[in-house]
Amino acid sequence: MRGGTLRVVVDPDPPTILTVDNSFGASQKVGPKIVEGLFAHDFQYGLKPQLATSYSLTPDGLRYTFQLRKGVKWHDGADFTSADVAFSISLLKELQTFGRMMFANLVETRTPDPHTVELVLSKPAPFLLRGLSAAVSPIIPRHIYDDGTPFARHPRRDTPIGTGPFVFKEWVRGSHIILERNPNYWDPGKPYLDRIIFRYIADAAARTAAIETGEVDIVPDNRIPLSEIERLKALPHLQVSSLGYDYLGNHTQLELNLDNPVLQDLRVRQALAHAIDLKVLLNTVWYGYGQISPTPINPHMAPYHDPSIKPLPFDLKKAAALLDEAGHKADAKGRRFGLKIVHNPGVGDLRRVSDYVQQALGKIGIEVTIQAQDFASYVKAVYTDRNFDLNAGTLANLFDPTVGVQRIYWSQNIKKGVAFSNGSHYSNPEVDRLLEAASVATDDAERIRLFHAFQKIAVADLPLINFIAVDQFTVANTKLRNFAIGAYGASDTFADTYFQS
Amino acid sequence: MPKTSSPALAAAPPLPATANPAAGTPAAAPRYGRRALRAFLRNPTAIAGLVLLALVMLGASLAPLFYPDDPLGMVGRPLLWPGRQWSHPLGTDSLGRDVAAGLMHGARISLLVGFAATCVGLSLGILVGAVAGYRGGWLDDALVRLIEIFQAVPSFILLVVLVAIAQPSVATIVGAIGIVTWPTIARLVRAEVRALRSKDFVVAARGMGYGHGRIILREILPNAMPPVIVTSSVMVASAILMEAALSFMGLGDPNTVSWGSMIGAGRELLRTAWYLTALPGLLIVVTVLALNLIGDGLNDALNPRLEKDS
Repeated sequence: MRGGTLRVVVDPDPPTILTVDNSFGASQKVGPKIVEGLFAHDFQYGLKPQLATSYSLTPDGLRYTFQLRKGVKWHDGADFTSADVAFSISLLKELQTFGRMMFANLVETRTPDPHTVELVLSKPAPFLLRGLSAAVSPIIPRHIYDDGTPFARHPRRDTPIGTGPFVFKEWVRGSHIILERNPNYWDPGKPYLDRIIFRYIADAAARTAAIETGEVDIVPDNRIPLSEIERLKALPHLQVSSLGYDYLGNHTQLELNLDNPVLQDLRVRQALAHAIDLKVLLNTVWYGYGQISPTPINPHMAPYHDPSIKPLPFDLKKAAALLDEAGHKADAKGRRFGLKIVHNPGVGDLRRVSDYVQQALGKIGIEVTIQAQDFASYVKAVYTDRNFDLNAGTLANLFDPTVGVQRIYWSQNIKKGVAFSNGSHYSNPEVDRLLEAASVATDDAERIRLFHAFQKIAVADLPLINFIAVDQFTVANTKLRNFAIGAYGASDTFADTYFQS
Repeated sequence: MPKTSSPALAAAPPLPATANPAAGTPAAAPRYGRRALRAFLRNPTAIAGLVLLALVMLGASLAPLFYPDDPLGMVGRPLLWPGRQWSHPLGTDSLGRDVAAGLMHGARISLLVGFAATCVGLSLGILVGAVAGYRGGWLDDALVRLIEIFQAVPSFILLVVLVAIAQPSVATIVGAIGIVTWPTIARLVRAEVRALRSKDFVVAARGMGYGHGRIILREILPNAMPPVIVTSSVMVASAILMEAALSFMGLGDPNTVSWGSMIGAGRELLRTAWYLTALPGLLIVVTVLALNLIGDGLNDALNPRLEKDS
């Protein structure tokens, strides 16, 4: 049970290891083995102590007090203290996408003693605890990084030390990262593994071959094509798991550009929704791996998800009638108008969504032109140039609707040039009010009520057509245990991961 | 410019003009052409190439007859193997699109892009090569530098950049392939023209007071053509390969089906549904092979030295 080398596939090549100033998925796999967060999370976002052992919150939701673990040492032997936490949070608030959001209302960080941290907020932040994980809010050593050099250019940026179960050993860019077991880890007896090797394998077929032949032990993050999952499941030495992706809140949707006068008409948007068969999307485009999710907050996000909302039924006659009613009569060839669809090229299956939408809308006389482009051109086309009508995207719910969903529907987030913001340019004061109230509601029942009300309006207004919460897969050797023990899955520390002999 | 021959000139293939000193006079060219055609048609590999290409062309021209609807239409059960259902003889892909329809319509795109891009490349290349070779002097120097700049950049990378900037569509892909392939033709034509411009018949034409345009078009170019014709058949093949490679990478025209895009989409399923990559791959091989066979045949037919040896 103790010992062994774990070989993990990462893809794309991680640009960095620490997620202090970024939220790269590949970096979130590597960093948490070295640096930890205040808490880990179980599958229901229940807190499990990590660097913090407990916390208390004042009833007004404005002051968090964290008790830190005693006797924790950095990998270089220095003591871990509250000053490290305060320093890390200040960096996260300044540099990181989620940090800017989570700590937006942080007024003051107090460190009354080396093992206590107090966060004083100007407004409640009910989503905060869900994001205090190693992947999202890593705690880094102040004595290394607080020397006046900006973090982005810090010489130790790519040779980090932490408090985690594994120690950074070697990084060959474009090839691999090696971590060794930390013998002085604060949790005696852990970690179980001797070594972790992260291998970057760029090609999907090569990754599949690598896990199949036993050259690697685990491939997280859907880096194996969905079309191969069924075949790999049948192999005796492999296991396929979709656990541990709650923090992603994976979600796919079609974003409609409301700057286009044609799409400003609700009847047209409803017609599009009626013409798209979510069952085909699920079963053909995504090979059946996922759940139909007609609302902005997907079923993985229970209890905030509103299960009473059903998708508009697939009904071509209704769609055609709505278009007629909106004044878009079909011409002699059955053609009504044209729309341009773009898709995020970073996600393979979205091209298939474009292909399907083109076919589906063609049946009601909407001529859809697919525009394929590289990632940078895609982001520019949608969020800067506004040169699109439909956008097939995967705007994830992330670990909380305030973090992952509000950005898409909040009118304050209509920001030119900001990627993955409110790309449809949807604006509804009532939606703004509900989202803002939910972002500061301290009572969870109240938050649930607000989010349910928001979903009903968003689905009725239909600025985006929500599609599928696509399953995420980890493919691993059957001997490997405890690679997904909470909401953060393979983005956790792997202190508990082991090979069964 | 010095009159000594440049390396390009020395490397130029033997010229039909030397084999047939009367070339350029109205009666001689057709006779030479007929003889070349006979030699070409006697060549079994060339005939094999022609037959294969004709079959692909036949498939392309019959596509609207067999599959009048959009070949991108999702018409059947996804991932149906070939031979399982008569309505989709070659099966369906992962979105339920008919593979046979895709192959036939894809042939149209491949041939269209192959020939159109070669035309663009030929036009540009002949224009630049003829002007540079005939005029010589500073203009030749400048144009040769331009050709060298293009040849110094890896052509496929330039192609990807051009298509990415211009947004992929059939027209932009044709233009981009033309832009990356013209330097080869330009070099070839320039070398030929330089060799021919001081031949007796050209000097005679000049002495008769013909204009530069007429001398280039009527006297020099017809005699410079044989190696260009041979090269262009191979250019069509490489243009088809370039289009396939672009589509494979997802940079093809997303609104049309092409063999390359079919391979790209089927790649993920290589282990479970290999026919999705094998069938369009086979057609690319056949088409490119056919064009290369034709190119070899043309080379044999138009190369007088080989004829003398035989």
